[in-house]
Parts: sequence; structure tokens; C-alpha cells
Amino acid sequence: MATDSSALEFPCSLTLNIPFPDARLSSIALQAIRVDKELSAMVQRHLSTVAPSEDTTEKSVLQVEYKATTNRMLRVAVNSFMDSLAFVLEVMEELDADVLEPPSS
Amino acid sequence: MAAPIPKNKRRRIALGCEGSANKLGIGVIAHDAVTGEPTVLSNVRHTFVSPPGTGFLPKDTAAHHRSFFVRVAKQALADAGISISEIDCICYTRGPGMGGPLTSVAIGARTLSLLWGNIPLVGVNHCVGHIEMGRAITGAQNPVVLYVSGGNTQVIAYAEQRYRIFGEALDIAVGNCLDRFARTLEISNDPAPGYNIEQLARRGQTLLDLPYAVKGMDCSFSGILTRADELAAQMKKELSQGKETFTPADLCFTLQETVFAMLVEITERAMAHVGSNQVLIVGGVGCNERLQEMMCAMAAERGGSVYATDERFCIDNGIMIAHAGLLAYETGFQTPLDESTCTQRFRTDEVFVKWRN
Repeated sequence: MATDSSALEFPCSLTLNIPFPDARLSSIALQAIRVDKELSAMVQRHLSTVAPSEDTTEKSVLQVEYKATTNRMLRVAVNSFMDSLAFVLEVMEELDADVLEPPSS
Repeated sequence: MAAPIPKNKRRRIALGCEGSANKLGIGVIAHDAVTGEPTVLSNVRHTFVSPPGTGFLPKDTAAHHRSFFVRVAKQALADAGISISEIDCICYTRGPGMGGPLTSVAIGARTLSLLWGNIPLVGVNHCVGHIEMGRAITGAQNPVVLYVSGGNTQVIAYAEQRYRIFGEALDIAVGNCLDRFARTLEISNDPAPGYNIEQLARRGQTLLDLPYAVKGMDCSFSGILTRADELAAQMKKELSQGKETFTPADLCFTLQETVFAMLVEITERAMAHVGSNQVLIVGGVGCNERLQEMMCAMAAERGGSVYATDERFCIDNGIMIAHAGLLAYETGFQTPLDESTCTQRFRTDEVFVKWRN
């Protein structure tokens, strides 16, 4: 997907791999966050879930690749993503179905 | 998408999440499965208050909503006493409002929808939320609606499945004018700048000179604010020179009398056009008792009456989003997850009001 001209236009890039306990949660984070488009045309973002290593097929890692025209735009975009991610994590930790209504043991 | 298969339940339940400005509100509503009668099961709100002399900025407001979402949601669920499996849909404010704050709440709503087994999402128009909650609480049949808040000023009447805008503020909302003047006077924003202006206005003695800006069915407030700010500067200067001058209370009194008279005029004009003598006031500025008093005087002269709700429902809240969202859901409306975005501009008449005749 990354072409030579794309790398020239968006020279500043960063890839983050965020581990989740399982593929269900990484997929939920992906679906919740990717709906909103990047606000700036100077930033490109690609979100996906990937397996943490070759040993497993479970895609429990949320991977986000950011490309931006300047380091400042990259920093602003990534910081904003981290805010949303931290929020999603808190919602998962505190409000997941099994947290609110623990299955009777 | 086909209409939802009615579950074999006594009631339908919606969770609603609101955060278009500085209030984060989450509420749970139930509609009787047969009559549709609404019952408020919970209505929890937390307001982001900025220091005197300042307003709330989008980035800080979004951070506030993210920070309080879990707390407010837990409280709303606990107060409602329901289990997750009873929730039919999760409603969120699609717009209009401030971009960052809207989106932060939408992310929360999406996450809950996915965590709780893909509960359908419903994107709601904030203004329609105010209107439907006002109708439900007051029982007003077909009133002219005055929707006045920090972000919106519209005169609305229902016709053929749309809430039509008959008149509006051309520049800034009346609440925005009041809030910004509170900043000029460095009045506290706790619990809300408009509330504190109202209290101060009661002590006003002198009606000063401010422009009056009604333009046909519409009105304008930014020029009035400019003049009010000039008068405030004049007052401060004269005070520092030890001269006798008017007071902040006089300024607040004058500003309210002026802008509220304008609102009453454009509301009356719409009533005459539409042939209605009922007025429903919704939105945060609708809490103002002086505005209610002036509107009542006008309506009484026309042999009509005014409906208003209390601060639980006037001020932005989650229950109005839940109610309006559930009404839409019951007609078969849903917002697919991939389309559950937010928008800063969302006209009231863009919504197809399928749930009314």
C-alpha cells in the first residue's frame, strides 16, 4: 500500500502495536476507533488487528500506522489516538458485560 | 433494515449518551411496549465548569467527557436497576455541537454497543432530543417550540414529519451571548454562567440602553454583546475613577430584558403564522424564570399557555437522547456502527420524524 510518492509526501511515520488480552477486545477497539476519519489531510492512519507472533493466529494486537507530513502533525494525531485508546481501555475494564454482571461461579 | 422484531417484553429500554457541549449526560428510559408511555429510569449528568472569566474549550471538554464517562454510565445503570440484556438500543448525540466532545462520547457509545453483544446504535439530533423530551414531560400537544441554549436559538413548529425552523439566531445563540457576557463580568460558571446572571439580574434596578435586534422571524445577538461589553468597560472605568455608575446587576438585568423580549417577539410571530397559542420552551436558557415569566405574559394575552421543564430536562442530558433515539428505533431506525459518526452541523429539519403523523 505504501508507494514511493506516499513516503515522500508523508515522511514522518510511526507504528504502534497495542496488545490486548484477546482478539475480541482488540477487534472492539479497532471498530470503535476507526469510525472517525482523521481530521487533517496531512495525516494518514491505517488501523488493523494482527497476531502478536508467528506462534498464534489470534489477532489480539491492535496495530496502528500513522503517516504525516510533519513531526508536529504526527505527534498531534498520535496523542489524540492515545487519548481515545486509553478511554476505550477504561470502558472495557470497567463496563464489559462480565465485569458488570459477573457470571455466577 | 427491517423493523426490529418486538421482544416479548413489557417495555423497551434505551441508554442515551449526550456530550455536545460541557455537560456529559447518560440516562436510561423505558417505553411501555403497548402504550409507548415513557418512564425515566435514570438521568445522570456531570458538568465541566471552567474558571470565571473563561469558557470551555473543545479539547478540555472532550477530556472531561472521557474522564467521567465510566462513572456516569455506571451510576445511570445502577439507578435504573436494569441488566444489560434488557437494553434495546444505545443512543448517542450525533450532532450538532462541538466536534471533539461529541466524538469522545460516540466512541464510548460504540464501545458499549460492541462489548454488550452488538446492541444497535441510534444517532440522535440534539435539538430533536430537547423537543421530544419537552413534549413527553409537559404533555404539550402541538406547541410552537422555543429552543434556547448556549449553542442554539431556534423557533420551531412541527409540520408533516419534520420540525421546521421558523426563526433563529443569525449569528450567536442567546445562551452564548449570556455566557460570554458572564465572562466579561467574571461571574462564576458554577453551576452555569446563565444561572448566575439570572440571580444577579434580580437585583438590577436600572434599565440601560442596548440595541434591539429582531430581523423579521430571526434575531441577532453579537451586536448586543458588543454593546454590553462596552458598557461593562465604561462601568469599570467610572468605578475606578470613583464616579457613581450603574452596577453589574443593572447590566445583567438590562441584557436579559432585551434578549428575552426579542425571543418573545419571534416566538409570537411564529405562533401567529402557525395559528398556535401553546409555547414549549426547551434548552438550558429555558430554565430561566424571567424568560418563562415574559413568555407567559405574551401567551396569556393570546389566550394560550407556556410549557417548560425543570433543570433535569432543560439542561443538556442523556435521557432526552435515549427518549428521542428510542422513538426512532421503534420506527425501524438504526445507525450502523461504521456510520456512527458525529457532525458539528445538523439542522433540526434534517430529521425525518417518522414516529409522528
